[in-house]
Amino acid sequence: MEPVGLSSASSKDSTSLDVGSERTLYPYVTGTSVLGVKYKDGIALAADLGGSYGSTLRYKSVERIKAIGKHTLLGASGEISDFQEILHYLDELILYDNMWDDGNSLGPKEIHNYLNRVMYNRRNKFNPLWNSLVIGGVKNGQKYLGMVGMIGTHFEDNHVATGFGNHLARPIFRDEWREDMTFEEAVRLLEKCLRVLLYRDRSAINKFQIAKITDEGVTISQPYSLKTFWGFSAFKDPSKGAEGSW
Amino acid sequence: MFRNQYDTDVTTWSPAGRLFQVEYAMEAVKQGSAAIGLRSATHVALATVNKAASELSSHQKKVFKVDDHIGVAIAGLTADGRVLSRFLRSECINYAFVYESPLPVSRLVVHLADKAQVCTQRSWKRPYGVGLLVAGLDETGAHLYYNCTSGNYFEYQAFAIGSRSQAAKTYLERRFEAFNSYSREELIKDALCAIKETLQSEKLTSATCTVAVVGVGEPFHVIDQKTIQEVIDSMEIREEAAADQGAMQEDKSSEAAPVDI
Repeated sequence: MEPVGLSSASSKDSTSLDVGSERTLYPYVTGTSVLGVKYKDGIALAADLGGSYGSTLRYKSVERIKAIGKHTLLGASGEISDFQEILHYLDELILYDNMWDDGNSLGPKEIHNYLNRVMYNRRNKFNPLWNSLVIGGVKNGQKYLGMVGMIGTHFEDNHVATGFGNHLARPIFRDEWREDMTFEEAVRLLEKCLRVLLYRDRSAINKFQIAKITDEGVTISQPYSLKTFWGFSAFKDPSKGAEGSW
Repeated sequence: MFRNQYDTDVTTWSPAGRLFQVEYAMEAVKQGSAAIGLRSATHVALATVNKAASELSSHQKKVFKVDDHIGVAIAGLTADGRVLSRFLRSECINYAFVYESPLPVSRLVVHLADKAQVCTQRSWKRPYGVGLLVAGLDETGAHLYYNCTSGNYFEYQAFAIGSRSQAAKTYLERRFEAFNSYSREELIKDALCAIKETLQSEKLTSATCTVAVVGVGEPFHVIDQKTIQEVIDSMEIREEAAADQGAMQEDKSSEAAPVDI
């Protein structure tokens, strides 16, 4: 490391005092949990439409689940601008894949592995894409659901979640997920977890999308809200009987 | 008449619109020992004639495994073939590393064809002197391609290259319509029959040929000599039995071997 007083000759050198760091140090606009489950006919993903700026719920129409090609859905939590960058890479990937025009196409497994390579390589350069990604899809009847983290950790499972979802949703999945759920049952399960997250995760907002992918194609629902209940008596007079407590 | 004037380097056209150096390179393929390939809906078989430089030496390797789902048979300059096989293996493994998936055969042959084409358009290069029969399986089915030294490639139900390959081609042309529904064993048998056509007077034994197969649930591999000898023996038993029953009836295709090019 150079002593503070010295500056380098090249102005492009990122160790000089002028330029500052050109690698990701912390996220700015972030999305919270993404949930994913396999069900009988395919995969269902759920996420809210919130983009937080620190503790401020600044953006309320951020779509964090997108379709990739014919066979895959991608959901992301973490830095929104990095998610947009990933979508840009994938756009190009899918374009070249389509340009072959030869009956072969990239499926969810290929996309998952590609993203894993991208995330891991960026992490090794100390310039990560600050996201946790959920990749789900169906190809030739085969269902696929996996996750990639910002440090390149990746795995496949029957149900996945990012962020707070790992702590609040996955235990519910472990108890109640079944292989042969219908889509309605899968949605009920996802909504149960989304409601818990809405109550307990401060960066969650009450505006959700559920995305579904089967062999027939992709459907992403319109944004909608869940019913919540705040009428607990303890909330009416919060400090009653709580002497000196927070 | 003009051939000698326009054949010095590959980047010179002849007045008739030909690149003689490329055509000369294709001659090298025709001089190499034979290689044939045939495919069904689920399997592809490759077979080559083993030619040894002398009685003292071993024969050259003409069949290469490129990946679990792809293999090639070559005819022509085996050194060029080896180098191209290394390129093919490298392409497959790079794709598998990024995508955890086997490289589709049609895309591999395009990469190979583009590589060959480069050598037809640089004055400081020469074309590869080897033709490759690429046999592979991907999600769109079983495929057999022929990659030419010119940079062209074609898909085939069955094909033969190398010396005396016309005899094998004639044999295959008569029967190719049935190939798609062939079983694995029928494919291998016909591959050996086609090789037999190119051998003419030499005896077909498992030492003089190499057979490889790839198919659904079966990674590309060369079939061991013992199994091949058994297939050859069963073919001969059948021929002798048919000959006994009335030699006049049977039309042995080796009677009228077509004239080679």
